[in-house]
Amino acid sequence: MVQVTTEPVMEKEVGPWKEGWRRFRKNKIALVGAAIVAFVVFLALFGPFIAPQGVNEQDLTKRLLPPSGEHWLGTDDFGRDIFSRIILGARISIAVGFFSVIISIVVGTFLGVVAGYYGGWLDTIISRIFDILLAFPSILLAIAIVSILGPSLQNALIAIAIINIPNFGRLVRSKVLSIKQEEYIMAAKAIGMKNNRILWRHILPNSMTPVIVQGTLAIATAIIEAAALGFLGLGAQIPTPEWGKMLADARIYLLNAPWTIVFPGLAIMITVLGFNLMGDGLRDALDPKMKN
Amino acid sequence: MKKQSWYMLLLLVVLSVFLVACNSSDEGTDSNEGTEDTDTTTDEGSEGTTDEGATGGVLVYGRGGDTVALDPAIVTDGESFRVTENVYDTLLTFGEQDTTVQPSLAKEWTVSEDGLTYTFMLEEGVTFHDGTTFNADAVVQNFERWAAGSAEQFYYYNSMFMSEGESVIASVEAQDDTTVVFTLTRPQAPFLKNIAMSPFAIASPAAFDQLEDNPVGTGPFKFVEWKRNDSITLEKNTAFWKDGLPKLDRVIFRAIPDNSARLNALTTGEIDIADGINPSDATSIQSNSELQLIERPSMNIGYLGLTNNRAPFDDVKVRQAVNHAIDKQTIIDAFFQGYAEPAVNPMPSTISGYNEEITGYEYDPEKAKALLAEAGYNGEEFELWAMPVPRPYMPDGQKVAEAIQKNLEDVGMKAKIVTYEWATYLEKAKNGEADAFLLGWTGDNGDADNFLYTLLDKDNIGSNNYAYYSSDEAHTLLVQAQSEVDEDKRNELYKQAQVIIHEDAPWVPLAHSTPLIAAKSTVQDYLPHPTGSEALTNVSVK
Repeated sequence: MVQVTTEPVMEKEVGPWKEGWRRFRKNKIALVGAAIVAFVVFLALFGPFIAPQGVNEQDLTKRLLPPSGEHWLGTDDFGRDIFSRIILGARISIAVGFFSVIISIVVGTFLGVVAGYYGGWLDTIISRIFDILLAFPSILLAIAIVSILGPSLQNALIAIAIINIPNFGRLVRSKVLSIKQEEYIMAAKAIGMKNNRILWRHILPNSMTPVIVQGTLAIATAIIEAAALGFLGLGAQIPTPEWGKMLADARIYLLNAPWTIVFPGLAIMITVLGFNLMGDGLRDALDPKMKN
Repeated sequence: MKKQSWYMLLLLVVLSVFLVACNSSDEGTDSNEGTEDTDTTTDEGSEGTTDEGATGGVLVYGRGGDTVALDPAIVTDGESFRVTENVYDTLLTFGEQDTTVQPSLAKEWTVSEDGLTYTFMLEEGVTFHDGTTFNADAVVQNFERWAAGSAEQFYYYNSMFMSEGESVIASVEAQDDTTVVFTLTRPQAPFLKNIAMSPFAIASPAAFDQLEDNPVGTGPFKFVEWKRNDSITLEKNTAFWKDGLPKLDRVIFRAIPDNSARLNALTTGEIDIADGINPSDATSIQSNSELQLIERPSMNIGYLGLTNNRAPFDDVKVRQAVNHAIDKQTIIDAFFQGYAEPAVNPMPSTISGYNEEITGYEYDPEKAKALLAEAGYNGEEFELWAMPVPRPYMPDGQKVAEAIQKNLEDVGMKAKIVTYEWATYLEKAKNGEADAFLLGWTGDNGDADNFLYTLLDKDNIGSNNYAYYSSDEAHTLLVQAQSEVDEDKRNELYKQAQVIIHEDAPWVPLAHSTPLIAAKSTVQDYLPHPTGSEALTNVSVK
């Protein structure tokens, strides 16, 4: 991922990333999380080649069949194979989680760096905007944004990205504030390095570690938020096999065909669990305070 | 933070236990008790009031939505009528489970030879809930109030008794205290049926300006309180003009929008009757000995409207193609669980004037493709509107839309499913903004006019003719039928109109559904009416 070379080099030639990886490897639970994430990402990439059926192959004569050899996870109320839909849904959840977080990170980091480094009125304005965004319960804000933009998967993604911006912004800002005081930045300033260079070559790379940790955890939250919006009918539209939407569509069959609701629910849960475990592991591995 | 992960694992375990529990309970319930309750016997003798003494009791009726207003003359929605039927009486009423005309506040009536004069003899000794006396004068004042109002204010009065700007009712006069005479400008065949409809309930003239939220009628129950979007409470009218009735002490109408939540409330005992049952829950209700499944006699039509002045549905061939493309029977089996009949004409076959010679467009995707090719349909995407709420004529519009979307995709038509909040949905559809839309209608009085003219005549574009279907030929027949008093001739006119409508295919008539209701097994003598609402006068709770 991000290659950092500007950090003061240690004697044993072991960079902080390598060191982190070593620590991460030792953490069994984090490895399980990483494995789950890898598996889901694999499904997201190659889903269409794995899924036995298409997204919307309705067969109304085969509705609500329990799990069997033919349909591993049963069929839904349109006679569609739930197994296939869950596999194909992985792509949607991962995409929403990944891209929304990327957008949040890019925008949040930019604002955070600017606010933290330049300070002054810029900092005041940006920080107050973050405060305003954070004052709303995040899912409510997302619902409001989607209601304005109109319900669709793309708009749900944008809404989730927007509500996560302040989290990254504040994180980066506080990190930048502390790095700014470091001696190597002072040194850089002393030798007359330009602000731009200091910002993007020195401060930014050094403040990325917490962002990566927070990013992994944010993907988990984003997936849940996307599912929540889908459940409320504000995210993916039928017949997209979005997991939250599948849950919502199946909820009237909770008692007579529980597999229609349990498996999409499990899919969401396992994926989120994977990202959380991996995120926790990354935090432990990359946090300098955790070093012996 | 690790703790969080462990909680998640714990949740996983709990969920899987739940899954297993569900499976086993499904297998265990195969007994078939309670099915005898579904026999909707039209037992005329159930009015007998002597057998039980002081049963009384409180009945909580769970329904999908709240009342709009408690003045039946200004509303059009079934949830409003459901309450007003219990507070007010009409001059005439319908049979317990049919639409035959029966006496109510008017105990007898005569019709003149020419069909222009109707004389009603009223019940004596009836008082309104506010203590004022019900008499001929009160009837006259009610009709004068409606006639003086605008079409927006009194929708039903204007739709039933006004035609092309001209009033059907020339005058309403009180001959003496208990005799009212109606004079018409032209004969109206369904006049008595119209008078029996819930909107034309007689309210206390002293209370005219407050009926909306403080109704005063002569009905079996008195209004107590209304908590908006929650409940409406009624109490027994001890001075009710039918001796020994009503049986219940109190009726509470509770609004529980979600179908599953409403059924849950019934199983936990919070409510006694749950309206709007998902057909998929029918079997589990039948196998529960504490519940009974009640079928409301069907008098409705659920349809897919094809807005006739919007592309691509401005071409009759495209509309016919859609009719051929949709597999009604499979949709009914799946989403009505068989509690519906496939529809052929725009009205149910139980209504007189139904044309049985029309066989309908059979499911034939190949023919649909051929018709589309002939019409030169270029595969452009159109919007398919699905209603957001369960309706008695269609328990799950979203699912039906999704199945139709697939049916259409199979013949090369690309539909995008769209939905709006219910009031917006109706408003926009009324304005002709939908390409294709799901909707339906529950009959008000069991007359063909109430389906064909109301839903498909060009006069009603902008109100109930959501499909913007405009046919001069059909219009001529339908208007002629309104004033035709000879039953056979009238039916013949309706049959001809149905042939024209069938050819023009303004809709895809989908289904005549049987709305399902569940009640505790202790609820007795509840007979749901085909019009969708009924007075609970004879109902009791054991």
